[in-house]
Amino acid sequence: MIIPIRCFTCGKLIGDKWEEFIKRVKNGEPAGKVLDDLGIKRYCCRRMLLSHVEIIDDLIKFYGKRDVKNENRR
Amino acid sequence: MKVQILEKNGDSIRFIIDGITTSLANTLRRIILSEVPCMAIDDVMIIENNSVLHDEILALRLGLIPLKTDLDSYNLPEECECKSELGCPLCRAVLILDVKAESEEKVVYSKDLIPEDPKIAPVSDKIPIVKLAPGQKIRLEAYARLGKGKDHAKWQPVSACTYRYMPEVSIDYERCDGCGECVNICPRKVLDKSNDGKVEVRNMLECILCRDCMNVCPKDPPAINVNGNKESFIFYVESTGVLPVERIISEALKIYDKKCLEFLEEISVNLNVPKKDENN
Ligand code: SF4
Ligand code: SF4
Ligand SMILES: [Zn+2]
Ligand SMILES: [Zn+2]
Repeated sequence: MIIPIRCFTCGKLIGDKWEEFIKRVKNGEPAGKVLDDLGIKRYCCRRMLLSHVEIIDDLIKFYGKRDVKNENRR
Repeated sequence: MKVQILEKNGDSIRFIIDGITTSLANTLRRIILSEVPCMAIDDVMIIENNSVLHDEILALRLGLIPLKTDLDSYNLPEECECKSELGCPLCRAVLILDVKAESEEKVVYSKDLIPEDPKIAPVSDKIPIVKLAPGQKIRLEAYARLGKGKDHAKWQPVSACTYRYMPEVSIDYERCDGCGECVNICPRKVLDKSNDGKVEVRNMLECILCRDCMNVCPKDPPAINVNGNKESFIFYVESTGVLPVERIISEALKIYDKKCLEFLEEISVNLNVPKKDENN
């Protein structure tokens, strides 16, 4: 859905590193190097970012259209 | 007992404690994990939320945000004199979230969470809490309290707290022929060959006691020997940012002291042992 706040296993804060991670990976940098730069050492935390899919971006597209319409009608 | 700090950078620390037992090392570890209190959002009053995240998911995400903790000005709710369910200014801190996405999508970050007491603020400003579609809004009041890791992981002040035996690597030069097999297999580059072809132990602290070097050595028994010293420990403690890591350790020791005293008290009451005279 949306990037978890902390690592499921150890509890390290990883949510605040997602945006930089995905921006740099989309720009073609190797994911492993970006994770090293962000100081994410343990593999429990690394998989949190590596395996994440931000589904909320797809969901809010629908809600956005519907809610704006309703708001205008009121 | 001897303590030696190996390195400290930012929120993590690595140190050696020499001359304690495994049970004491594990006691320290468990107190750090489950008894040292820190702040986390506990109750959330949601006034309005029409985002795609349901109220309970939103509240859970808020709870997991690490908050900077001020241990000296706040009481644990169960120890506070107010005894009220919602708490008083001495045992809870309020944070307010009031955001609306106007005509564009909006990411709500931890920096939008406005603390009443600036000392109890999220450790990072950039944690995404939720994303809002145009027109969606969230209004809520969140109550942060001190709590302990044994009740919920959000109150755990550390993200890693480990110890391992101090490695001891020794080479029997009488029998070692310098073939170099052990140097090649060591995953932590503990061993190295010097210029005259002699195998040397370079950074013993990095050894993880995997004993690959012993297994690969062609001599029988192996010319290299690896052992963990069971009275010496390498600790690694990593704070989530809620408290400085030194403070976490000193709090843990205070709690340990208190527990020991309580235990002694309990024993002497139950066994009817007369209290020791102050003078002897
Ligand atoms: S036990 Fe493992 S880590 Fe330690 S020196 Fe031998 S090969 Fe290296
Ligand atoms: S593998 Fe054994 S014999 Fe070969 S260098 Fe290492 S300790 Fe010496
Ligand atoms: Zn982790
Ligand atoms: Zn109170």
